[in-house]
Amino acid sequence: MTTAARPLPTTRTHCPYCAFQCGTVLGGDSPLSVTVAGDESFPVNAGKLCIKGWTAGELLNAPDRLTTPLIRTGGRLKPVSWAAALDLIADGVQRIQREHGLDAVGLFGSGALTNEKAYLLGKFARVALRTPHVDYNGRYCMSSAAGAGNKAFGIDRGLPFPVSDIALSRTLLVVGSNPFDTLPPITQWFDKQKTNGGKLIVIDPRRTPTARAADLHLSNTPGSDLALANSLLHVAIEEKLIDAEFIAARTTRFDAVRRTVLNYHPADTERLTGVPESHVRQAVRMLDAGPSMILTGRGPEQQSKGVDTVLAFINLALALGQVGKVGSGYGCLTGQGNGQGGREHGQKADQLPGYRLIENESHRQSVAKVWGVDPGSLPRKGRSAFELLDSCGQPNGIRGLLVMGSNVAVASPDAGRVIERLKSLDFIAVCDPFVNETANLAHVVLPVTQWAEEDGTMTNLEGRVIRRRKAFAPPTGVLTDIDILRELATRLGHADKFTFADTETVFDEFRAATAGGTADYAGITYARIDAEDGVFWPCPSVDHPGTPRLFAERFHHADGRAKFHAVEHRPAGEEPDAEYPLYFTTGRYQEHYNSGAQTRRVGKLSGAKPMPKVQLHPELAARFGIEDASLVTIESRRASVEFAVDIGTGIRPDTLFAPFHWGGRVAANLLTQASLDPTSRMPEFKLAAVRIAAVRSG
Amino acid sequence: MPREQLAIIGNGMAAGRLVDDLARRGGLDRYAVSVFGEEPQGCYNRILLNRVLLGGAVDDITLKTADWYAETGIAFHRGAKVERLSPAARRLWTTDGHEHYFDKLVFATGSEARVPRVDGLRKRDGTFKDGVAVYRTVADVERMRTGAKRGRPAVVVGGGLLGLEAAKGLADLGMHVTLLHLFDTLMNRQVDRVGGQMLQKAVENLGIAVRTSATTRAVVGDKLAEGVSLGGGEVLPADLVVFASGVQPRIDLAKDSDIPTNAGILVNDRMETGVHGLFAVGECVEHNSRTYGTVQPVYEQCAVLADVLCGNTTARYRGSKVHTRLKVVGLEVASMGDIDGKDTDEVVQVIEDRRGVYRKLVVRDGRLAGAVLVGDASAAPALIQRFDRGDPLPTNRLDLFASPDRGSAPADDMVCHCHQVNEQQISAAVRGGCRSLQDIAAKTGAGTGCGSCRGKLASLLLKAAPPTAAESSRHSLERL
Repeated sequence: MTTAARPLPTTRTHCPYCAFQCGTVLGGDSPLSVTVAGDESFPVNAGKLCIKGWTAGELLNAPDRLTTPLIRTGGRLKPVSWAAALDLIADGVQRIQREHGLDAVGLFGSGALTNEKAYLLGKFARVALRTPHVDYNGRYCMSSAAGAGNKAFGIDRGLPFPVSDIALSRTLLVVGSNPFDTLPPITQWFDKQKTNGGKLIVIDPRRTPTARAADLHLSNTPGSDLALANSLLHVAIEEKLIDAEFIAARTTRFDAVRRTVLNYHPADTERLTGVPESHVRQAVRMLDAGPSMILTGRGPEQQSKGVDTVLAFINLALALGQVGKVGSGYGCLTGQGNGQGGREHGQKADQLPGYRLIENESHRQSVAKVWGVDPGSLPRKGRSAFELLDSCGQPNGIRGLLVMGSNVAVASPDAGRVIERLKSLDFIAVCDPFVNETANLAHVVLPVTQWAEEDGTMTNLEGRVIRRRKAFAPPTGVLTDIDILRELATRLGHADKFTFADTETVFDEFRAATAGGTADYAGITYARIDAEDGVFWPCPSVDHPGTPRLFAERFHHADGRAKFHAVEHRPAGEEPDAEYPLYFTTGRYQEHYNSGAQTRRVGKLSGAKPMPKVQLHPELAARFGIEDASLVTIESRRASVEFAVDIGTGIRPDTLFAPFHWGGRVAANLLTQASLDPTSRMPEFKLAAVRIAAVRSG
Repeated sequence: MPREQLAIIGNGMAAGRLVDDLARRGGLDRYAVSVFGEEPQGCYNRILLNRVLLGGAVDDITLKTADWYAETGIAFHRGAKVERLSPAARRLWTTDGHEHYFDKLVFATGSEARVPRVDGLRKRDGTFKDGVAVYRTVADVERMRTGAKRGRPAVVVGGGLLGLEAAKGLADLGMHVTLLHLFDTLMNRQVDRVGGQMLQKAVENLGIAVRTSATTRAVVGDKLAEGVSLGGGEVLPADLVVFASGVQPRIDLAKDSDIPTNAGILVNDRMETGVHGLFAVGECVEHNSRTYGTVQPVYEQCAVLADVLCGNTTARYRGSKVHTRLKVVGLEVASMGDIDGKDTDEVVQVIEDRRGVYRKLVVRDGRLAGAVLVGDASAAPALIQRFDRGDPLPTNRLDLFASPDRGSAPADDMVCHCHQVNEQQISAAVRGGCRSLQDIAAKTGAGTGCGSCRGKLASLLLKAAPPTAAESSRHSLERL
């Protein structure tokens, strides 16, 4: 590997990992001497970084960095030339489409891709491959909150306000999120909120570091968040704490919700939720002391009733009149680095750029015009992420798959089944900087650039569009995903639609494609992002200031009002029973990110958390004779996994938790199940029924 | 395929729930549903009747309006009492003379207030005297509201769930309430003697007088109630006398139609009555020799019946585990299972007399067989979940009473995750002379990452610093 000796001054860019997209300043004249510091001037993180950010430079020097394309021959991945690898993919795709139809090829994208890549991937699917089947791993992350936001507000932007507004809320309710571990630099805003006299309420089956910092922690039964939200609203109505004026002036359909929640008296729901009535009342009274803010994480969202669950919390916020004023509002703490932008620009099976809908004729026309194609040539809506993967190798399913920036073999629910599906493909190609677990199943692996080696834009959890800036030349032999899409499009006869001078020209076409859409980026330019510390969408024209706060005046439904939705509790796709009596839930460690494909390669991170441990309560440990050094086998209807243990009172006695950052035999997702939300198609990562099948001394 | 005609008699919480459960299962495509509701209102939440008593509108507790039935495509026969039905002819007749055909029928007739044999209750026409009421329906509480006068005496007969609710409601309306209970402790069906006594004190603290072991002989007064005479001959003055001494299943219609009944309408595990095609659900039902008077069992029955009606052949109702929660603000009571226990059971009792808190567990074979909580029901959710699932209990039974949000140290004592600095290292640094967050940061790196541990660092600094230095470290903290 040779590193271009192009000495650059310090570069202001952003962390490679989560949706907080901390500003970083990279120094050093090559990746080998790279220094990473927090960018004091970037308003979101104000110089703070978590351990993942501080150590991100190591990724650039990872010894197993892939610098040449690989092709599987004789069961092993072997280096080949770019031309050979790209030809093989193009030939494979064409052969499959010729023999099995256009729909037999699928694309799987990622919330880690820049806006430009996500946009081009969607365009590549619709224009070059003409397949409806493009989706991405954001389906596993924020899709339920997105679905609820669209239903309630007519728009989906994770946080409809700058993250600094957190400090202005008097009461903050965090539902099923542990930002102290998963978005550590956000802690400064929580601290400021507390210093300002604010209170924190946390709903979580686990007593996480965030829950421990709370003034009130509601440790609910997994899968009961919706019922809990409805009972909070029941009490708000009973105690006359709702804002009738706001409801009348700015919302519709409250009446049906009011009647629905009558059946959620907290003394009745406590059997289901595990939360005592007194705590429910206390929480509502705290929320009444506004401005109050409700933030959800993956806990309520990654359920087969994720959309309805988020809607239940939005109902609560609306009924209390706590939306649209500074320091109030509902927000989703987005997970992936570009989870927000990634879901707006057409790599989703049902969407086109600008948050347009692929089944809407006028939306199809707008985008087709920018692309210079016939609207009728655009495919219709395709399969959602899990359904797309689950159809691999099945009759009328996907036979050839291109995966970009996503480690689906680790991150998918019921991972054993997904891996079998991937293995049954005629053809699978993976683009990644590393040979991750998914690449290990591939016929072709293409090495791509990573964060500090490329340009582009990301949209952070606030809806702020920011720039990822290139600090170092990539290693020789590595291309960007954009290069790859162009090369493949050329081989497929669509060069004219994919030829761009640089990343900024991709962005300019993409801006045009979003113009007039819900997520309108038309007025955002690289120069403006540089000058303004990012620009918040919607920003329809270059003289528009961008929109840091939504909903002050109106919501985005045609009538300008927010919509209440009457939602009811329903059981999870799999509830504990006599055979599998325990709840199993998944989540993250502070030291790792997503499938761990990056963070497991960083010494300090893998040193701190080398392996997953299953977290369990001492009572359960005593019942099964489990000690600190024990290894326990956790079994679901789908698989058995042996874990080391982490015994402590930070979890309910009826619940087990394991992080999902690892693949192979310790993959938590071998145990999870794939019941899908009917609207968002989100799999139910947060709830499976398991049992402790065996214990042995480690 | 034409839809079958499904008639539901009754429009209380069971009927409402059943309709929802049917809708969720696609049952409205299969059945043309008719609901016969005797009360003029739509379906309302009876549990929340106190809100109407306290001045709320009926609409505040209405679950389904007449419009809702229309929008959902359900024929709602409002105010229609079913007078007679013929299982053989598959027909029913309402009091207004209409005849309705059905293929299948569900009794959801609920229950009615049980009125004890007491003299002087009624006028000559058989209706209650003015100032006499029961506590069951919207009409009843409207009657109570009319009769309630601030500062005047009232008597509530019955010291169970309903009686306590009614007494609290009237007290909230400013009446001087005396609660009469036949047995020697309150809520004797759900709470044991010790708990009942504790509860009585709590009720008295709300300003409600309680008479236990009190037999109600007669309502005194010619045309309107003036008082209540007790077994010993004493007369308590009362402008309003409310009977809230339990409920009984409404089975007359079923009985008259030759459907097998006992205390309730007899059903099997599929909620089928003794007559094919006729079902029953809710408080009117007797299943496996048990009748139920709380809402959870009713909902469980509705789910099974909806399954059965939608063609599920394996659905079975196996009886319910009953959990009772008193819904009176200021009186926390929870009860489940066997509250007294057998001789062979272990019983754990925690009595906090001054605080008015009583907690009792009945443990059988290492599992929870029953529990009573008075004065503090915050342990109720954890207990009821264990009771429902039959989970083995922790060896130290008192662990069950620990607050759900009790603090706990993390499994590791890592303070600064960003730089992997643990508590011992911080303490060592302080012992080694660090006196401020800056010192600690310089020495260990802790607190310079995401900053989330700075609060913890500050408290560790105060804790670990030698006394002479405490003052200065406090100053340095303030500067931050």
